Amino acid sequence: MQNNSIATHRFYKIVSKIATHCILLAATITIGMPFVWMLVTAIKSPQEVSIFPPIWWPEVIRWDNFVTAWNTAPFGRFYINSIVTAAAGVLLGLITSAFAAYAFARIRFKYRDFFFLLMLAAMMIPGQIALIPNYVILAKLKWINTYQGIVVPHIANVFGAFLLRQYFMTIPDSLFDAAEIDGLGHMKIMLHVALPLSKPVLGTLLLYLFIQKWNAYLWPLIVTSKQNMRTLPVGLAMIRSAEYAIGPEHLMAASIFVLVPVLIIYFLAQKQLIEGIATGAVKG
Amino acid sequence: MAHLNRKRTVHSMSIREKRDLYAFVGFTAPTFILLGIFIFWPIFYSFYLSLFKWNMISPRKTFLGFQNYRDMYNDPVFWLVVKNTLLMAFFTVIVKMAISLYLASQLNKKVKGSSVYRAIIFSPTFTANVAIAMVWAWIFEPTYGLLRVVLKPLGFPMIDWIHSTSHSLPAVIIVLIWSGIGYDMVLFLAALKNISMEIYDAALVDGANSYQIFWRITFPLISPTTFFLLITGFINVLKAFDIVRIMTEGGPLNSSNVVVHFLYQNAFQWFRTGYASALALILFLFIMFITLIQNRLSKRWVHY
Amino acid sequence: MKKKRVAVVVVIAMVLCLSTSLWAAGQVEQTKPEGPIKIIYWRSLTGVAGEAQEEIVKRFNESRSDIIVESQFQGAYAEILQKLQAGLAAGDVPDLVLLDSPHLQIFAKEGVLVNLDEFVAKEPKNFLQDYIPGLLADSYYNNSLYALPALRSTPLLYINEDMLAEAGLPRRAPATWDEFREYCKKLTKVDANGEPIQYGVGFTMGATTAHWYFQGAVYAFDGKISDENFVVHLTEAPAVAAAKLWQDMVFKDKSAVPSTSHDDLFNKKVAMVFGSTGSMGNVMNRATFKVLPAFIPGQVRNGVPVGGSVIAMPSTDKWRQWAAWEFMKFFTGTDSQAYLAEKTGYMPNSTSASNHPDLVKYYAANPHWKVAIDQLKFVQPQASVISLPKGTEILRQMLEKLLIANMDVYTVMAETKADLDKEYNENFK
Repeated sequence: MQNNSIATHRFYKIVSKIATHCILLAATITIGMPFVWMLVTAIKSPQEVSIFPPIWWPEVIRWDNFVTAWNTAPFGRFYINSIVTAAAGVLLGLITSAFAAYAFARIRFKYRDFFFLLMLAAMMIPGQIALIPNYVILAKLKWINTYQGIVVPHIANVFGAFLLRQYFMTIPDSLFDAAEIDGLGHMKIMLHVALPLSKPVLGTLLLYLFIQKWNAYLWPLIVTSKQNMRTLPVGLAMIRSAEYAIGPEHLMAASIFVLVPVLIIYFLAQKQLIEGIATGAVKG
Repeated sequence: MAHLNRKRTVHSMSIREKRDLYAFVGFTAPTFILLGIFIFWPIFYSFYLSLFKWNMISPRKTFLGFQNYRDMYNDPVFWLVVKNTLLMAFFTVIVKMAISLYLASQLNKKVKGSSVYRAIIFSPTFTANVAIAMVWAWIFEPTYGLLRVVLKPLGFPMIDWIHSTSHSLPAVIIVLIWSGIGYDMVLFLAALKNISMEIYDAALVDGANSYQIFWRITFPLISPTTFFLLITGFINVLKAFDIVRIMTEGGPLNSSNVVVHFLYQNAFQWFRTGYASALALILFLFIMFITLIQNRLSKRWVHY
Repeated sequence: MKKKRVAVVVVIAMVLCLSTSLWAAGQVEQTKPEGPIKIIYWRSLTGVAGEAQEEIVKRFNESRSDIIVESQFQGAYAEILQKLQAGLAAGDVPDLVLLDSPHLQIFAKEGVLVNLDEFVAKEPKNFLQDYIPGLLADSYYNNSLYALPALRSTPLLYINEDMLAEAGLPRRAPATWDEFREYCKKLTKVDANGEPIQYGVGFTMGATTAHWYFQGAVYAFDGKISDENFVVHLTEAPAVAAAKLWQDMVFKDKSAVPSTSHDDLFNKKVAMVFGSTGSMGNVMNRATFKVLPAFIPGQVRNGVPVGGSVIAMPSTDKWRQWAAWEFMKFFTGTDSQAYLAEKTGYMPNSTSASNHPDLVKYYAANPHWKVAIDQLKFVQPQASVISLPKGTEILRQMLEKLLIANMDVYTVMAETKADLDKEYNENFK
């Protein structure tokens, strides 16, 4: 009798393990399929694109689709613009967030909580309410079609400040007290105590912000009217209006241009990214 | 005794307090200046604009008072757009969270290759919306789209999702769910991992079945995460724009039009800057309202 | 007495000084600024049409050392519209802009475009006569000229000629909408399960293009959508007949389908699509089959709405305006137009361009391209309501109601008329 129940137990265990794998596999395939499809479509010839049932691998790989897509618009320039604006945005964003986070975590001030809530309130405000007003402000500053126009309105990063503040608050008080006793001012404490100990969070935040700014669409679209100031997502959306000259295969190829850098970063650092987001948000 | 009633001015603060004050101001000033100019000021300016009829071209603005708001109230398209937005938010969030919680629970069982599964399922989170919209538009294509591969054998007739008044909103919802599952799943997984095995062991000893375990133990214990995802998920969908803009443009006949996209159309396509500003304000007030509710409810529902 | 005289002399001296310095200042203003004047031209259109424009800009810059034109691609017509709006709000506008013809009225009305009458006055007397009247007509607002025809087009029917042969139809276009309907029935194919694999035609539903082809249909039935006084005629018999025909083709005959992209033609999903003469270059390049460009079908008569773009001047600086005018003349001049027409399939905008030897030779060698020229005799201005801010959107929604939602034709026409009237009264008058 005992043998039977052990066997049954093992059987159920194996079945449930297989079931789990099946479910996860199904989910992974469902989520991953569009990416695969994007790649497959990008290397097809125009005739192969419009066939049903669909072909899963083209007869001849049409690498020239990428060339055609690249030449439809100045993608080289788009890349440069995306890199510059994303990098500048991230750097300035981290700096301002770190300062704010430190202030809210470690500086005693009577109205500190009020200001903290005020900052949180900003996080809730939908960006679309600021589209027209921000454009008018930028125009008066003559910042349309400039890198600063794309970057500056979105430097202040409340999520980052929030995350860093959480993290700073987990650093033992003793470390800060020791620094204070040594006579260090707030600036030095932040630079020598808080930041060095926060490297993991800073790293995660850096990657997260970079990807967010890389993918930004609406604001760069409005702020840039010159072709040579556009960023990748904006350029990508714009080539759709060339509908007579290019087909789905070229659109997919162009999409891949936009995705590649982010996917590279993602697959190199996904563990850190995922875990950073999980820990940051759960404590909230 | 009189000195105890002295008003505390900067001069009367200790050196330390002064240092703290200056540091606080200096450290937070950049953030607040930027927030002030680019987030807070626009709210007031938008309210101001919403009281006018302005086509953004001429310097002439016509004062309307609250006419824009009255027009909104009487505009059937506005109410359709609101309905679509709420439906979209509701369905996206509920379905997305249910699926991701289930997947998280599966991932939580020690399976080989779980990090690979997790990485792939999470990948849409970091993908540009423009690219997502474009590949999904192609997938939904009625004659050659990938979706037909799945639906045809199941006997579904050829549906043009994006150009059908009944299917365009579901199409958008599907895309939003697809791209959002990963994020929710990762957060749920972290929350599940935080539950110590001892609690489960104790429950099993007490003779609880898996149904009871889930609803009486697991679910309450992950409630902070659930609540967080519910609220932020809801608000994020309310702000959705990119997918609608690129995949359906709100059509056909506003069947997939949502508030933010409607706002964009009014401001940048139809020259109704005043009306668009009124829309922005209403959206803003609604989101603040939800945030307030969140604050109240979190005190009641979230178990720690 | 002496003081008074002194005072008078002083006053006269002051007045003289003032007036001479004013005169001198006026003179200074008259002299051209040093160095080449740089002007900015916002353009639209990609592919062949985009490249051709760049070529014209290049030729202009090479031919003159006193003006440099910088051309900036701004996306589709709808994007240029938004950009210009936002730019005007912020005081940052280009010197020249390529505008979709319906948008001209909106900007001219607000006074943000330069009135070109004074520039025309400085040109030789018959300057405007060379332009084809049907193509110049919609560049006027309040009897003043605000633009010149840049890349004008008319709607065409693009047919997959191979499919015609396959269906046993003659290798020519249907002459009337009735014949068109018959063609479509024969060109529709279903598979074993009754699911359609090929339709006769795809009706374009694009945001900026859907209304255009419908206008052509209404003209063919001898009606119009609206007249110069913005009176809407959609509820009258011709418009209703056109609408009913299109709707029946989609839902009764099932030989037509709403389409958003010319890919449907290239994918062989439909046998015919409506397109612009301006896309002829791209369509010919991309098709893997024989394409037959043709007139929009007539019915009671032939009539096609003119479309495409005009070039207008938002510039505010006097010298840049002069430079912009020079470029406008070049762009709309005979040689440029002959080049543009040959490369893109847009129509030559003047008689002299139509008769340019290069173009004549080209059309002789490629008779299909002549379709555009031949259709010129049927050209009419577009309906006035498309100049309303929400005009084209209302018309597009009308088509969606007819061809997607299958709503009753009379109801749709009445609703659309009401919406257009409201839009006119609230936002244009």
